[in-house]
Amino acid sequence: LALKVMRLTKPTLFTNIPVTCEEKDLPGDLFNQLMRDDPSTVNGAEVLMLGEMLTLPQNFGNIFLGETFSSYISVHNDSNQVVKDILVKADLQTSSQRLNLSASNAAVAELKPDCCIDDVIHHEVKEIGTHILVCAVSYTTQAGEKMYFRKFFKFQVLKPLDVKTKFYNAETDEVFLEAQIQNMTTSPMFMEKVSLEPSIMYNVTELNSVSQAGECVSTFGSRAYLQPMDTRQYLYCLKPKNEFAEKAGIIKGVTVIGKLDIVWKTNLGERGRLQTSQLQRMAPGYGDVRLSLEAIPDTVNLEEPFHITCKITNCSERTMDLVLEMCNTNSIHWCGISGRQLGKLHPSSSLCLALTLLSSVQGLQSISGLRLTDTFLKRTYEYDDIAQVCVVSSAIKVES
Amino acid sequence: MEDAGGGEETPAPEAPHPPQLAPPEEQGLLFQEETIDLGGDEFGSEENETASEGSSPLADKLNEHMMESVLISDSPNSEGDAGDLGRVRDEAEPGGEGDPGPEPAGTPSPSGEADGDCAPEDAAPSSGGAPRQDAAREVPGSEAARPEQEPPVAEPVPVCTIFSQRAPPASGDGFEPQMVKSPSFGGASEASARTPPQVVQPSPSLSTFFGDTAASHSLASDFFDSFTTSAFISVSNPGAGSPAPASPPPLAVPGTEGRPEPVAMRGPQAAAPPASPEPFAHIQAVFAGSDDPFATALSMSEMDRRNDAWLPGEATRGVLRAVATQQRGAVFVDKENLTMPGLRFDNIQGDAVKDLMLRFLGEKAAAKRQVLNADSVEQSFVGLKQLISCRNWRAAVDLCGRLLTAHGQGYGKSGLLTSHTTDSLQLWFVRLALLVKLGLFQNAEMEFEPFGNLDQPDLYYEYYPHVYPGRRGSMVPFSMRILHAELQQYLGNPQESLDRLHKVKTVCSKILANLEQGLAEDGGMSSVTQEGRQGCSYLVASIRLWRSRLGRVMYSMANCLLLMKDYVLAVEAYHSVIKYYPEQEPQLLSGIGRISLQIGDIKTAEKYFQDVEKVTQKLDGLQGKIMVLMNSAFLHLGQNNFAEAHRFFTEILRMDPRNAVANNNAAVCLLYLGKLKDSLRQLEAMVQQDPRHYLHESVLFNLTTMYELESSRSMQKKQALLEAVAGKEGDSFNTQCLKLA
Repeated sequence: LALKVMRLTKPTLFTNIPVTCEEKDLPGDLFNQLMRDDPSTVNGAEVLMLGEMLTLPQNFGNIFLGETFSSYISVHNDSNQVVKDILVKADLQTSSQRLNLSASNAAVAELKPDCCIDDVIHHEVKEIGTHILVCAVSYTTQAGEKMYFRKFFKFQVLKPLDVKTKFYNAETDEVFLEAQIQNMTTSPMFMEKVSLEPSIMYNVTELNSVSQAGECVSTFGSRAYLQPMDTRQYLYCLKPKNEFAEKAGIIKGVTVIGKLDIVWKTNLGERGRLQTSQLQRMAPGYGDVRLSLEAIPDTVNLEEPFHITCKITNCSERTMDLVLEMCNTNSIHWCGISGRQLGKLHPSSSLCLALTLLSSVQGLQSISGLRLTDTFLKRTYEYDDIAQVCVVSSAIKVES
Repeated sequence: MEDAGGGEETPAPEAPHPPQLAPPEEQGLLFQEETIDLGGDEFGSEENETASEGSSPLADKLNEHMMESVLISDSPNSEGDAGDLGRVRDEAEPGGEGDPGPEPAGTPSPSGEADGDCAPEDAAPSSGGAPRQDAAREVPGSEAARPEQEPPVAEPVPVCTIFSQRAPPASGDGFEPQMVKSPSFGGASEASARTPPQVVQPSPSLSTFFGDTAASHSLASDFFDSFTTSAFISVSNPGAGSPAPASPPPLAVPGTEGRPEPVAMRGPQAAAPPASPEPFAHIQAVFAGSDDPFATALSMSEMDRRNDAWLPGEATRGVLRAVATQQRGAVFVDKENLTMPGLRFDNIQGDAVKDLMLRFLGEKAAAKRQVLNADSVEQSFVGLKQLISCRNWRAAVDLCGRLLTAHGQGYGKSGLLTSHTTDSLQLWFVRLALLVKLGLFQNAEMEFEPFGNLDQPDLYYEYYPHVYPGRRGSMVPFSMRILHAELQQYLGNPQESLDRLHKVKTVCSKILANLEQGLAEDGGMSSVTQEGRQGCSYLVASIRLWRSRLGRVMYSMANCLLLMKDYVLAVEAYHSVIKYYPEQEPQLLSGIGRISLQIGDIKTAEKYFQDVEKVTQKLDGLQGKIMVLMNSAFLHLGQNNFAEAHRFFTEILRMDPRNAVANNNAAVCLLYLGKLKDSLRQLEAMVQQDPRHYLHESVLFNLTTMYELESSRSMQKKQALLEAVAGKEGDSFNTQCLKLA
């Protein structure tokens, strides 16, 4: 018996070399006639290079993580005698495990001369690195002799993509995820799906298409595929779900954001799929007391009071009794009483505070000088550069 | 990254592979540069980005926000082993304890993958082939060294040759354009290199053609009809200002135009054997059969004008103007601006099929192989056409060479002054086109080189006012310009191809714009337009011609972009081709759909295939239906549904049993469905049914691949194929698809 193995990557389309001439040229219609007679050209459009003829894969090619490894296994009886009890086993040995890929493990009763046992195996590759396909054949000859042989086929599984991520924390508790996906293969890659599966704490919005005239248009335009080594950036916005957003203490420290699910296709629909490991991020530390802005005008008039709304959240695990102090800076002048009691604030609870202030200097001014003091622990928290406003002369009409 | 590390050792499968240890370290280093960390156990938020470890100094310097590299794996295996890939190798002998013996494992040589099993003659050719092919597939810019690029990887066992065979050349990439050196070639070329140059004394058989036309006019008229007629006819064209001066030398023989002067290496002033009225009288006798020689003549010249029109570059135009207004000897053209072609190699004769037969089937069988060669046909255009049509292109190239040699542009004549005629350029075109068809791109490039950018003054009729009085335009056929441009893409310079095509396109567009304004091609006042209706029809015909030429250029551009894998632009270009060839719309849309499929964009492909359906609905007929079915089959193929695809291909066969594509594709589907024997039966039946038509290299390639998969006796079966080929195919047959070597 002989064992043959061939990897079944997708077939390719035959391309031909069009050479044409015009009627008045020496060969007359000859070249065009030759192209018409060539079965690999497209009937009626012979100059079109990409034909319709399928050709079988010519070499092993590359195989990438997430793709499906398909292979044809053929056991052929080269001898002139009938062989009995043939068992063909195909295993895939990776660095961590050994998988059985044969469709059936039942022995074939007999194999006549010049007949063969065929099997097509499929396996989605889940590991990077060396894989060994182990094919074992056992059979009994006519003489009753038990025979056994194995063959090994080794191949390397490569990394198809390079994924890099980065988080941006917005004031509003939203998290923006930027993911760069680079095609590390040698062929163009069509990205069928790149989605973020968020963890339970978040809702996700994909920011990779824009609505144009009611239609969703990808931000990548008509270029639906990635050339080798090309990189593409995907952007996602994650919002904490309400039940988590309210409790500020929960989203703290290292949190799991979710994972990216990527499905791509290459030549003639050869499919691959990968998921990233769980993406984690360090939630920004807010200390014990977090002060965030709820409302602030972007432009204000010089020397005219304006209002801002602050939200103070107790991120610590104890109750606080807070006193608010407001210190004027060179440009910012607070209106109202400094040193007022805000009362007790329980862990994970917050209160809103409307404040009034004015600026005496034109230009972009930073709002600074808020001090919160916890009277229980006698600890003072300073808040400078909370936000910026543009201060313009009142002579100019402020629109907002 | 070395394949050697992992490759040589052939571990028993139970032992999970120690040699892995070395490569990962190297890779670790490599990855540091590209991505920041593979560990995936750190997180970069804005606050702590500078503090995070593992950020490369380079990234810091760039002051870029650090991107974190994420481990993409379901498994905990964090080693990014992107180093190499292996083609499947047969690691152990079939006898198999699993230990292939220590000798390969111990050798750290780059070619250390040699397997004990491999037969030497099996290893040598395929190992030479594999690396080259893969190198061609390499995408520029990917720096990862793939093992294929490494020198000889000896091929282990026949089984695996399936994976490492070279592509058949015509499949586009992967083909190394090299001169075919069959054993017979060396000898032949040497021998013929020593044959006396034929320039001085054309062989008798040649003279039937280049010599006196009147004597053999049955065949010569064929030639004059298409090429040289107008040269003298246009004298009688009142619109053409003929300088035709002075002193006809007595040697003016009818047909001189076609015949090179043996020592013809002078400038335009001296070169021309002047046209005297007498010869024309002779030659017009040739056309005595036609009712009105004058009318025929006129329309011929119009056709010439239309076909030959071209806009020379600025410098060339200057020279041509000077020639037109010359006084004798006034125009001096620098030698560098002249075209001085010559054969660069004088014989690529040889028959690879026969060589293989000698090797595998023995002398007796090989003796049966009979193909026409350059000697066995008439030494004329008729013989040339005969060779081309029976696919003996090598012989045809050879014959072109002989005819050119007779014209004084033979081997070693490159760089010597010469003069050009319509015929010599047509011969060059045919020779170069055939070289390209044969895949001998480098040879074509060598011989194309003296032609420069095909815009030298001596390539225009105006340069030879005495030989071609009144005739204007380019001697270089339009198709040769296309060929000249396209050649570069096969040599790996698609950008240059595009540049050249754009130049051709500019001229085409300009000419078309002129015509659409009612002007002559070159922008001058059209002499024909004055003649009312007739002029109008000339204009319409001209516009039609130039539109189709423009479309041809666009076609080439689209093909070139496809070759460059710039699919977006290629699709755009194919779309614009539809404008010029509306009748090809369904085919082109299907083609675009297939491009989308190739990228993996199934949805877009489906959209295009639906468009095809709409277009073909208007025209009924078999062809449209087949196209729709074919597209559905491809779509299913893209969805990995080979069974459905097979059903559609079979459906086509029911309607058109002789459809080679459907036949072949159905067989391919069968293989993917695990039905090797059925697949083989189908292909074999197809080849036997109509060998003349189906012995195509793609079909044969599939067939031989399956033979290799099927049994250890593939060799006999391949040899049987060789015999079939020998009976049907000419010397241009590409034997590589038989995978016999």
